[in-house]
Formats: sequence, structure tokens, C-alpha cells
Amino acid sequence: MSKILGIDLGTTNSCMAVMEGGSAKVIPNAEGANTTPSIVVPDQNIVGIPAKRQQVVNPKNTIFSIKRLMGRRFDDPEVQRIKGDYPYEIVEGKNGLACVEVEGKTYTPQEISAKILAKMKTDAEAFVGQKITKAIITVPAYFNDSQRTATKEAGQIAGFEVDRIINEPTASSLAYGLDKKANEKIVVYDLGGGTFDVSVLEIGDGVFEVKATNGDTYLGGDDFDQKVINWLLEEFKKENGVDLSKDRQAMQRLKDAAEKAKIELSSTLETEINIPFITADSSGPKHLNIKLTRAKLEQLVDELIQRTIKPMENALKDSGLSKSDINEVVLVGGMTRMPKVTQVVKDFFGKEPNKSINPDEVVALGAAIQGGVLTGDVKDVLLLDVTPLTLGIETLGGVSTPLINRNTTIPTQKSQVFSTAADSQTSVEINVLQGERNMASDNKSLGRFMLDGIPPAPRGIPQIEVIFDIDANGILNVTAKDKATNKEQKITIQGGTGLSKEEVEKMVKESELHADEDKKRKEEVETRNLADGLCYTAEKSVKDAGDKIPEDLKKDIEEKVKGIRDNLQTDSVETLKQKTQELSSILQKIGEHMYKQGGPTPGSQDQNPGNGSNDQDKGKDGDNKKDEPVEGEIVE
Amino acid sequence: MKENKKEGGIPSKKIQENYENQIKELQDKVESLDNSWKRALADYSNLEKRTAEEKENFLTIVKIQIIESFLPFFDNLEKIQEHLKDEGLHLTLKDLQKALKNIGVEEIEAEGKDFDHNFMEAIEVQPGEKNKVLKVIQKGYLLNGNLLRPAKVAVGQQ
Repeated sequence: MSKILGIDLGTTNSCMAVMEGGSAKVIPNAEGANTTPSIVVPDQNIVGIPAKRQQVVNPKNTIFSIKRLMGRRFDDPEVQRIKGDYPYEIVEGKNGLACVEVEGKTYTPQEISAKILAKMKTDAEAFVGQKITKAIITVPAYFNDSQRTATKEAGQIAGFEVDRIINEPTASSLAYGLDKKANEKIVVYDLGGGTFDVSVLEIGDGVFEVKATNGDTYLGGDDFDQKVINWLLEEFKKENGVDLSKDRQAMQRLKDAAEKAKIELSSTLETEINIPFITADSSGPKHLNIKLTRAKLEQLVDELIQRTIKPMENALKDSGLSKSDINEVVLVGGMTRMPKVTQVVKDFFGKEPNKSINPDEVVALGAAIQGGVLTGDVKDVLLLDVTPLTLGIETLGGVSTPLINRNTTIPTQKSQVFSTAADSQTSVEINVLQGERNMASDNKSLGRFMLDGIPPAPRGIPQIEVIFDIDANGILNVTAKDKATNKEQKITIQGGTGLSKEEVEKMVKESELHADEDKKRKEEVETRNLADGLCYTAEKSVKDAGDKIPEDLKKDIEEKVKGIRDNLQTDSVETLKQKTQELSSILQKIGEHMYKQGGPTPGSQDQNPGNGSNDQDKGKDGDNKKDEPVEGEIVE
Repeated sequence: MKENKKEGGIPSKKIQENYENQIKELQDKVESLDNSWKRALADYSNLEKRTAEEKENFLTIVKIQIIESFLPFFDNLEKIQEHLKDEGLHLTLKDLQKALKNIGVEEIEAEGKDFDHNFMEAIEVQPGEKNKVLKVIQKGYLLNGNLLRPAKVAVGQQ
């Protein structure tokens, strides 16, 4: 099934996204950028960044801001205004519609836009590795029928089947998942590269209705840059008496530096603009070195930001709503990254705006989500949940051994093999735990059950496979199976993960808070388990070896074992570690004696119990590794 | 008897219709689930491919980011040298150039060439031979043959 490309066909930049694996993703163009300048040289078919690079050389044939002409008549005042300002030729085409003329050939705005769309189509197909025939294209909410039709035609010329034309503010709201809210009023504040739009939407039953729009079609990031450039020019002139504005090379460097400073000041409070050798006069080379603070920048552009307030007021008035009626505010466009802009909007509506999604990409992402809704992709997404907390079982010493880590996407299945903690143990209890702490008692017990009928065997020999399975509905099935007898028991935990968001957050926070102390406690338990296991192995080895090892070695081992056993719960971790180490090295002597006599080495097969008990990655997703690893022990 | 038959006939027909509807519904559901499942699989396999590709490109991306952020210093050092003409600085710059070359960075030859929008950005036009690069304002670079930064140039126009 073909994918639907979501396209934000912008005045200055365009962006595209697609649904992938249940979420919307921006597709970079062939040049590797997430946005493509909406600039076209139609007669040579150059689109995007390369077209921008040659704009200065070829101004008459380089078409930009074509969106301003879409579906407009030649005598439209907007068209006449542009005609005076833009270097390319705007002419009257068929039916009195505005067209552009390049090298004696007339192009409709649809054809120019189609070239942008066609490039995006090609780049997107190369990226996703399949043909893309369907698209959803966004338009400003104020676009009339003729402008919308023109946009749709542009898509068709580019080879798309245009599934839908949707409003930009609607797309942004979709990207923030606001369609799931009922009867809410949303304001979308979109301050982009060249235009400012504010829209008031109302959402009911998943359908968006545009209540009012307003804006300023000639206000955007470029104006902000210009303010900074002008200020730098003045400052430099004050200090050096040189006017840089006529020097194209200096202006180029100044422009780059101004934009960079503006971006930096969104995250820092002060920046230094350094342009060495910006110019030279009779006294020698001159350098530009000026400090710009965020406060100064805000003062420079204050007039521009204030210009966005009136349209907000007007839009509200037209919608018949008051500030307090607004439930959500969404920020779109690169300029909304500026803290001052966010602040002004926040102060105006008295509400924290939505701004977590990249404001240059949010419209395209929303368009892709709309595409996902049409293909049914989005419905599936809701099913793909994650486990909010780690799930595991209790093992020897009260340790919580995780099987499924938190944030694992469900449905999922994990299994791990455990063993018994004592000789002739015929049953194990499985205590299913939820939580991030290392000790079982600190986590929440979701349920317990017994698996009995295990044939009597030395500790560490039985193999009990524990399988955790969470289905798509979040229902957890825990199965314990004795591999020798195939006997199994299971428990089904319904809604075991159905904790409230607050509970989950609290549990995660607590685990972070207690991380160090938990780690210590776990280490302690593990050390004691290890010591105990080694004592057991030692005794068994001595017994198996019988008279093949000298009496004094036997005695030595027995003494060491006693030394550990007697104080197993009271010794400090360090002491116990040392004692374990000593016993372990003496034990190796058994092996030496056995080899000398050419006999079998007893006790080697169950050397393992207790070692590396919590190695979680083994037994992953039901892969059938060899059955030997006994990775932990279940508390009796 | 007759009536009974009649009465019994209607519900059974209804039941059959119900079943048919249910079957149709289930068939549709199976089909749509089958579709979603295949699409998810395709997405996943594409993601795997892309992840592998990205891993391969990762080193290049890191290289690009680091080199790009250091190029302005190189530009400035060259500007300083134009003024100072210091022998020590000259040798240092030469070494720097060599180091850049060793990691695959290559200067874009622009001056005197035809303007090429794929590798150059026109900053201004000056009187001169049409479409020829008259002057390089900021050097451009390639990394292993791919564009790292376009050369900023002045282009001739009559």
C-alpha cells in the first residue's frame, strides 16, 4: 500500500513528512536538509538550495514566494503590490489569472509550485525506497476556493493524487494530538520566515472548524534578521566611521553573523559577534567585535513582536471568543523559538503554549498524520503502547530480577531460565513484580503462584523457564515451566500495568532517588548468595572426590566453608568477599589433585549457581539458546 | 405445519444473513489487519536498512559537523595571513591545509571557472565576463567529493 506524503508547501520553505512505524517522520531532501527553500528556476528546472545559490546572478528567472500568487487574479491588489517589489516578471495569464514569465515562457503558479512538489516527491521516494503517489498538502486557513484548487492542481501536475488539502493550523493541531480533545478552542500562532498567521479553531468530534484567521503577510524571521543587521551597521559606523552597507562582501558576512547571533540568543543570554577583517581603510584592516545581549535583541525586535498582538486580538474578536475561552495555544514557525515571542503569546492568553515539536516541521508532521488517519495507520498507533514500568520476578535474597524493562514496546515476550535455591526443592514460588527498584520488597507485587512437582534434585540443577508475555492490550501472562517434566503453571494479570501516570512517575522517581542504596543492597545479597553457593559446591566436590584428595585439603576446605556459613548473614560484604575468594582458590586444588590422578572432575557442572545471576539479555525473546545457563535462583 | 414452516423460515434466513454479514465484516477486518501488519513489517525492514546506512554515514556526519564548525577559523586565519604575510603563519596554514586534505577535505576550485550553482553561491555580480567567477569571497570545500560548503563567489555580468 502506497504511503501518503504530508507536504507543508510554504512561502519561503517547504517541508515533508510521512508516517513510518506508526509515527510521523520528516523526510530530508537530497541535499540532506529537512526543509527545502521554495525557490525555482523554471526554465532550467533548478529547485531549492541550488536555486537560492544562483538567485543573485539570475534574479529575473528565479521565482520565489510563488505561494503569494497562487490562485490570484492579475488585478488582485496583492499581486500588484508584489509586481512592483519582485525582480521576476508577473503577467496576466488565462482567465485573468496571475502568472510569471521566464525567458519568454509563461508559467502558472501551479506549474512553479509543481516543480517544488516534484522535487520533494523524487527525494521522498529515494528516501523511503518506494513510489509515493498520494499527498496531503497544507494551505493557510484563509486560502479561498480558487487558491485551494490551484494548490491541488499543483500537486496533480507534480504527479500526485492529492488526497486532501488541509489547513496549516489544523495540521499543527493534529501534530500535537489535539484532535482527541472534545469541544476545545485552539489558537495557532504561526510566525515563519516571511508571513505571520494566527488562527482560531474549534474542535468537535475530531473535526476542526476554523472560526477566524488574521495575520500579517509581510512579517517574519527575515525582518528580525534585518533589525539586527541594521543595528550592527550603526554600531560599526559609530565606532569606526565606516558604512558597511554598500560593501556586498561585508554585508554577506554580517547577514550570516546576525542570523547566527539571533539563533544563539534563543538559548544564551549574551553572544559576541566577531567578524575579523570585515573591511579595511587607509589606517589598515578593521574588525567587527560587538556584544549582543538577549535583552538588546528583544528591544531591537520589540516593534515586530508587538505587531503580532493586534492580529491576535482581531482573530479573537472575529471568532466571538475571549482569551479565557481558549484551551490550547500552538506555536508554529522558526521565530517562535525566540523566548520573547513565546513569552508574549503566553502573557496574551495566560496559558503555556504547545511548543515541544520542531516549529519548522510541525505542519508537515501534522499533514503526514492526517495521511495516517486516512490509511488507517494512526488507529494502529494507539495500540502500540509501552510498559511504563519494569516487570520481573523475585529471586534468592529478595532481589527483583527484571525480565521486561520499562519503555519496551508491546506486544512483547521475554523468557529466562531459573533454578532452585536448595537441594531437593520440589516447588518454586513465582512472585511477579513491577517497579524499578532492585529489591523485591520495594516493588509492587502483581501476583504470585507456585510451580510444584519438580523432581527432587540438587540445587541449581532443575531448569525452570519463566516466560513473560504482554499482549497488545497490556495483559500480562506469566508462565513457569519445569523443563524436565514440562509441567507448567501460569498467571494472567489484567490491567496490571494500568497504573495512573502519577503513580508511574512516582515509582520511577523513587527508584532514581534510591538508586545508590538499592545497588548496595543488591550487591550485598548477591555476595551472600555467591558465598552460599560456593559453600555448597565445595561440600559437594569434597564428597564426590572422596579419598582422591588428601585429608588436610579436605579439612582446610571444610573449615573455610564453616567460616563462611557461620557468619553468612552477619559478616560485612568485604569480609565475605574475601572469604569467598579464599575458598574459591583452595577449591581449585581439588581439580589439580583430580587431574593428577586422571579422574573426572566432580562438581564442575554446577559450579555456576548463583554466578552472574541477573544476566538479563540471555534467553531473549524466546531464542532457543542452549539450555544450560542457570541464570538465577528462585526463592523457595 | 405450513405456518410453522413459514415462521421458522424467516428467522433462519435472517440468521444466515447475519452470518453472512459477520463473515463479510470479519473478512474485511482480516484484510485490513493483514494490510497494517504488512505495512508495519515493511516499515520495520526499511528502518533496519536505513539504520544500517545511517550507521555507515555516521562517521561522515560527525566529520562534517566538526569540520564545518572549524572552517570559519581557517577562513579568518587566511584573512589574517593576507595582511600579516608572516612566514610562521604561512607554514602553519600549509600544515593545516595538508591535515584537511588527509581527512578528505578538498577546496572547490572556483576562480575563473563558470559559475556552478551546485558548488557555488553567488553573493554579488560585478562587471566582467558573463557567468564567470571573478572572485572567491569565501572558499568552498568538498568532503570526499561531496559538498561540504559552497564557495561564495562574485560572478561576472555585462
